[in-house]
Amino acid sequence: MKIVVEKLEVWYDSTPALRSASFEISEGEMVFVIGPNGSGKSTLLKTIASIVRPKAGAVYLDGKVLSRLSPRDLGKLIAYIDPHLSRSIPTTVLDFLLTARYPHQSALSFSTPRQDLDIVEDVSKWLNISHLLDRRLDQLSSGELQRVLLARAFVQRPKVLLLDEPSAFLDLKYRLEVLDYVKKSVKASKIACLAAVHDLYLASLYADKVIVLNNGEIIAAGRGEDVLREDLIERVYRVKVSLLSINGRRVAIPLEPIKEAHYGGLT
Amino acid sequence: MASSLYERRLKHFLISLTSLIVLTIFAFTLSLSVGSSMLDPVKIFQATFLKPLGYTVEGSVEIIASLRLSRALAALFCGASLALAGLLMQTITRNPLADPYIFGLSSTALAAVALGILLVPNLVVHKIWLIAISFFGAMSGYALTLTLSKLSGGSSIAMVLAGIAVASLFGGISHVLLYLVQQITRTPYVHLLLGSASTVLWGDLQFLVFPTIFLLALILALFKPLNVYLYGDEYAKQLGFNPTSTRNVASLMAALLTAITIAFIGIVGFIGLVAPHIARFLIGSDHRFSAPITALVGALVTLIADVLVKLISMLARGIGELPLGVVTSIIGAPFLAYLLVKRMKG
Repeated sequence: MKIVVEKLEVWYDSTPALRSASFEISEGEMVFVIGPNGSGKSTLLKTIASIVRPKAGAVYLDGKVLSRLSPRDLGKLIAYIDPHLSRSIPTTVLDFLLTARYPHQSALSFSTPRQDLDIVEDVSKWLNISHLLDRRLDQLSSGELQRVLLARAFVQRPKVLLLDEPSAFLDLKYRLEVLDYVKKSVKASKIACLAAVHDLYLASLYADKVIVLNNGEIIAAGRGEDVLREDLIERVYRVKVSLLSINGRRVAIPLEPIKEAHYGGLT
Repeated sequence: MASSLYERRLKHFLISLTSLIVLTIFAFTLSLSVGSSMLDPVKIFQATFLKPLGYTVEGSVEIIASLRLSRALAALFCGASLALAGLLMQTITRNPLADPYIFGLSSTALAAVALGILLVPNLVVHKIWLIAISFFGAMSGYALTLTLSKLSGGSSIAMVLAGIAVASLFGGISHVLLYLVQQITRTPYVHLLLGSASTVLWGDLQFLVFPTIFLLALILALFKPLNVYLYGDEYAKQLGFNPTSTRNVASLMAALLTAITIAFIGIVGFIGLVAPHIARFLIGSDHRFSAPITALVGALVTLIADVLVKLISMLARGIGELPLGVVTSIIGAPFLAYLLVKRMKG
């Protein structure tokens, strides 16, 4: 599925969170959004997920306006991984994963189709959470929960995948394994994937395209090699970085924060 | 792995369902045989459950059993409907400590009922109007508790504290009102305040039995929105469900279930809290499975409590019956304490 975002503008009460954002994601493409805290990454994802309503602009999925799609169709097409999940009523991982199949079932169906259980089984094997299926969701470690959240998105079999911090809480090996799996699935199932990350090296390793957000505005977009420039990162993140060239990819290594003149009182 | 787990869950569900049904039939028979004249439970069982198969027992047993039938059915269905109200409230507030009693719905419903009877004494014989008034009371109590808890931050502890505030205020008000009402109804007011199944009339039972069965069926039909709702509003939204309408519909259902029990047997605490927890412990939180089990657990516990009420009143001759709510509180309060301690620690 192809996503076209056109002059998207989102306001929270009277503060702008996203200003005139336009870009495209084609089928099987993995686009990473980077930017400091509060730059509008999550807002962008939530707007495409239809959780936040834009003030102006539009999102098109395969040429159809997002706001015209029924909630049911949205549930079939879009998976948004929300790290904030309510877990106060104890449920099991299997219960949770099965809810992701609901949009695909007919509204009045009562039993769980065999095929849905197979999908859960398949995805959990790939993300190495088979042993967690009967565990309680509120008793998982952060890393286990992160993999379960990702599994949920894939169990939904979406055409648009929106990931908010998919690498958070994962150790180095899982980071790479999980993103390998995401990348493979995105290519194989022709998903359009938009991921917000803080780890710039993950962006340079996996992104087909990188979008840089700052104060709600897209200030650069393009291939990782073109966007991940020293001056740009320093300007946006206010840290000194050094770019290393590893296996032909440029990887940004943060060195130290840039001392702000007007915060200078401390130093 | 996933399918074997799911099959195991189904098996657990069927085992729990059958054993609970057997236990409930057992308690039901016991409830019919316990009373001022003790009857043989075996004969009662034959008279009530095996009648279509051609069993006959002596006339007196059948007559006494049928006299006690309305009380036993009232305890059974009030227990089920209170338990379901508790389940719905725990789901919509995502708070495992929610319950119609703790959240103040019961007290406001009772205060409304008492006020209604006081103003229009005829209402006592029109159960359906009593239920309507009770429903109005329960809804206002729920709205009050939610508003109060939102003003104080909206955490689950704030919700419980707000509920306690509402419950004690309207508990007090209903005390006063019911004190006056006992002149009209000629029943001791503690029975209305703390529940009693002894005054339920056969003809009124339809307003209890059918709504409870209907609302249970409705919960089962809504199992997907309810299951999805557990994980948060945004989660529900992005799977294509509307969390606000889920919340509204489920609140109305919970208030209606509470209202019915208040109009029939008065305040019976803790069933709504305890039953969903036991059900979740047995078969997990999927509403498809937890709703019927919750209803059965509620029915069973209330029936047993009612049998205890009858037994105690027989031991202490002449004093009259203990209210049902007292017995369920004695069973339920330690459980609440256990939950609190476990929650605060974990």
